[in-house]
Amino acid sequence: MSIGFIIGASILNLFLALALSPLFEGCARKLRATIHSRIGPPIIQPYYDLVKLFSKEDLRASVNPLVRLAPYACIVSIAIAALLVPMGTFSTSYQTFLPPFNNYGDSILFMYLIALSAVAVILTATASENPFAFVGASREMVMHLTVEPVLVIVLVTAAINAGSFRMSDMVLWYHTHGPSASMIVAAIFLFLALQAQVGKLPFDIAEADQEIMGGGFIEQSGPKYALLRWSMMAKQIVFCSIFTQVFIPWPMVGNLAWDVLINLAKVLVLVLIIAVIDVVNPRLRIDQSVRYYLYLSLFALIAVGLALAGI
Amino acid sequence: MNPITILYVSFLLLVAGAIVAAATSKLQRFCSWSSLGFVSAASLCLLYLAIHVFAKGQITQPEPLLSLPGIGASLSIGIDALSALLFLIISIVSFCATLFSIRYIRKYEKESLLRFYPLLLLLFASIIGVVVIRDMLFFIVLWEMMTLTSWALVVYERESKISIRAGLEYFIATHVATGFIILASVLLYAHTSVPSFDFNALRASFDTLITSNPALVHLILASFFIGFVTKAGVLPFGFWLPNAYPAAPSSGSAAFAGIVEKAGIYAIVRVFCTILPISVYSQTWGVVIAIFGTFSIFIGTMSALTQDDSKKLMSFHAIGQIGYMLLGIGVGLYFLTINTALATIALVAGLFHMINHAWFKSCLFLNAGSIFYKTGIRDLNKIGGLFSLMPWTGITAIVASLSIAGIPPLNGFASKLLIFESSIIAGTEVGAAIWAKALFVIMGIAAIFISAVTLASFLKFLNSAFMGKLRGVRASSTGDVPLSMNVPQGILAFLCVLFGVVPLLPITMVYKAVSGALPAGTSPAPDILFGNMWSGISVNFGTRVISGVWNPLWVIIAFALVVGVIYLVVKAGGSKVRRVETWYGGREHIPADISYRGHSFYTPFKRAFSFKMGNVDFKGLYPTSLPLPKATMPKGLRILLHPDQWFYYPIANLLMKLNRGLSKSHTGVPQMYLLWTIVGAILTLVIILCLR
Repeated sequence: MSIGFIIGASILNLFLALALSPLFEGCARKLRATIHSRIGPPIIQPYYDLVKLFSKEDLRASVNPLVRLAPYACIVSIAIAALLVPMGTFSTSYQTFLPPFNNYGDSILFMYLIALSAVAVILTATASENPFAFVGASREMVMHLTVEPVLVIVLVTAAINAGSFRMSDMVLWYHTHGPSASMIVAAIFLFLALQAQVGKLPFDIAEADQEIMGGGFIEQSGPKYALLRWSMMAKQIVFCSIFTQVFIPWPMVGNLAWDVLINLAKVLVLVLIIAVIDVVNPRLRIDQSVRYYLYLSLFALIAVGLALAGI
Repeated sequence: MNPITILYVSFLLLVAGAIVAAATSKLQRFCSWSSLGFVSAASLCLLYLAIHVFAKGQITQPEPLLSLPGIGASLSIGIDALSALLFLIISIVSFCATLFSIRYIRKYEKESLLRFYPLLLLLFASIIGVVVIRDMLFFIVLWEMMTLTSWALVVYERESKISIRAGLEYFIATHVATGFIILASVLLYAHTSVPSFDFNALRASFDTLITSNPALVHLILASFFIGFVTKAGVLPFGFWLPNAYPAAPSSGSAAFAGIVEKAGIYAIVRVFCTILPISVYSQTWGVVIAIFGTFSIFIGTMSALTQDDSKKLMSFHAIGQIGYMLLGIGVGLYFLTINTALATIALVAGLFHMINHAWFKSCLFLNAGSIFYKTGIRDLNKIGGLFSLMPWTGITAIVASLSIAGIPPLNGFASKLLIFESSIIAGTEVGAAIWAKALFVIMGIAAIFISAVTLASFLKFLNSAFMGKLRGVRASSTGDVPLSMNVPQGILAFLCVLFGVVPLLPITMVYKAVSGALPAGTSPAPDILFGNMWSGISVNFGTRVISGVWNPLWVIIAFALVVGVIYLVVKAGGSKVRRVETWYGGREHIPADISYRGHSFYTPFKRAFSFKMGNVDFKGLYPTSLPLPKATMPKGLRILLHPDQWFYYPIANLLMKLNRGLSKSHTGVPQMYLLWTIVGAILTLVIILCLR
């Protein structure tokens, strides 16, 4: 893996995860408005929002330095997670999709970077000293606790199949081996966990605007709030890319531009599906969601069993 | 200088320090500082020894010093890389704990220093002994010394009933455990060709027993296992731990979690890797160790989530983290006969986690100690917002908490990564049985899941102690905790970062320890297993290509670069900062009214794992109130066991009756006494005359 590929692919992945993610969010909003029979904001409205927020006043209710540092940790950990996920960056020498940081971290690091972003949200929330933020932080952690096992089991299934924790090896194995039962089951469970991972209805329990006024975001304003919103959008792209690249690695054209475009199309479809589910569902209570995901993770073990049996 | 001489020096320094501290315990200041002096000198010696062993690879073969030829025991001492690994932990943790004690122990005004420093120093000395001795008899002697000194620290607050009770539990549990160790050793000893307690002789004895008497081998291994894991605090044998650790002063708890617990892990590795020859037994017991480890991980951490007492929370986590080490060691033992590469990596992972745990758990106990020193409170519901008061404690607590939760790039991540990957890759190993594969994979998944629970639990600790509005502190106590308490926390937190950012450095050391503990030539070369990039590790489980990578350097560089870019974006926005009041939904409140207490965290999750079975409440899967088993005795035995009732009281009553009769003569009239005297004299005369 040449240094040129690493830098180029890194810039591409960061561009997709950070710069393009508001566009996908805009598409989702447009779809949402269409379902509501509204005209809705323009597709690039999320960019306007971010720009506006960056220039707005930064209100600080606490002197704790974590309030202003943690939002950086949140978005940057998502950005680094994006470097571990293949996003259509095809490498001719490896004949597979190769994430730029393939040699520097694997899927365990990915899981922990996602955890780190949750930690950052929680710390910035609780450092703000607002009791609503504490409720939001507690809920955020409970959601993370119950959804994470599903993600773990899904990635472990792929790791057992590929004999490796690196995402490139997973893609390579799945692409050469062809469809397998365990991976299909794993993909289904990943899809069921996706909604909660990206913080959309019916699982946006941690923010829950109508109940706890944004939870962890209540004291956030200006650039801090912009960073947290931005990281939510970036997270959506990162998770969708795992689904589309690792669990449906077809078609693999072998041309960088085509592969990236195809991946973007696949991600867009997934984002729109997520948006539809988001629109038509009411919010669940936290205890319902806990029960749902704990049972889901028990059933997800089927995928591991299939992988161990070699199918 | 001869390593053994240095070892002596450090041991004697600690013993001498204990004597000096005992003699000067009335002079508070002198006693504390002289103990610190002795401990730091001993720590320097040990640190030098550890570096010496790792840098030069020089191993001191066991040599007998004091022989008891009558029973075949000899005080033989040897230093290998495994001992050196423990030296590293002992030297740093003992120094930090002693330095921390200087001011902290003044919090306990009522108690005498006589029962603290001498015992603490003797505890350190005995653990040094435990990790170098190569003779089972003297090993048990020092093991017992370690148990007794640590027990005395548990009951340091002798006025507190909780401490005494915890101490009793600890005493009984560890002594039953010692009984098991003695049983195993004697059984092995009985089968040595020449009566000897030497580790090599015991290994030979295992060799003969494996072919001749398999059942006995299992009995011996089970006894060793129970004996050692009781000390390490593995559930269900470690039931004493959540009560005993919090009872000791915090620096003592840090020493327990940092060192004493590790002695149990050391002993397990020593027995199962060095003394037990690689055989099908290491496979069976590997599975057993891994199962108990996972059980501990699960139950210990889940119940930690429900704790509101800061030190109790950490004690439950000590149980959970020990489970991680055992999981690594168990997987390693299982694969010793199948795939040595996987086995070595798993063993390295377990021992690496042991070092890391020494750093972050000691640091966390010291953090809890700092909070207690400042507020006098251990209950997380009653404190809050301490970050502004003691920022250094806050920062070290965040570092240590994120380390224990395995957040990259801290040290916990590196060791947990290896544990997770080796237990899950075990599922793809061709040589293993299918049930074992499934078991190891499930264990690996459970370990990853519980890692998130650990994170949740420590975020609860951080959030309720350091975040939010300031609570629980008297207005008079302003300012940070003293420097002598901040420095040890800083050292330990720094080590957490260092061992995380440069994982290959500690892994190389641990690799040496593991390959030294295993028979020569068992483990593949380290650059095959962990790659040869100095900046990170690339894990290779034997036949396959690289299966896992972790390269902190580049990830940190990328992190810094992206932070820079985002910072520029934020700067370009040019927003202004304004201080405002916290918004409570438009109403004025005082902080006490609206604070979110530690107890309220994760209620739905805790509820999902709490239930009631019969009369027993399970909170986070851990029984909170066990009904004590009612023992019934046969009636005759109970009577026999009460000699008061059938022996002492009847006789005593009889005598009393007699005396009462005699006392009637005691009327107080002088004439009567005169009469008695005359009658007596006449009687005497008559008797004398008759005898004539």
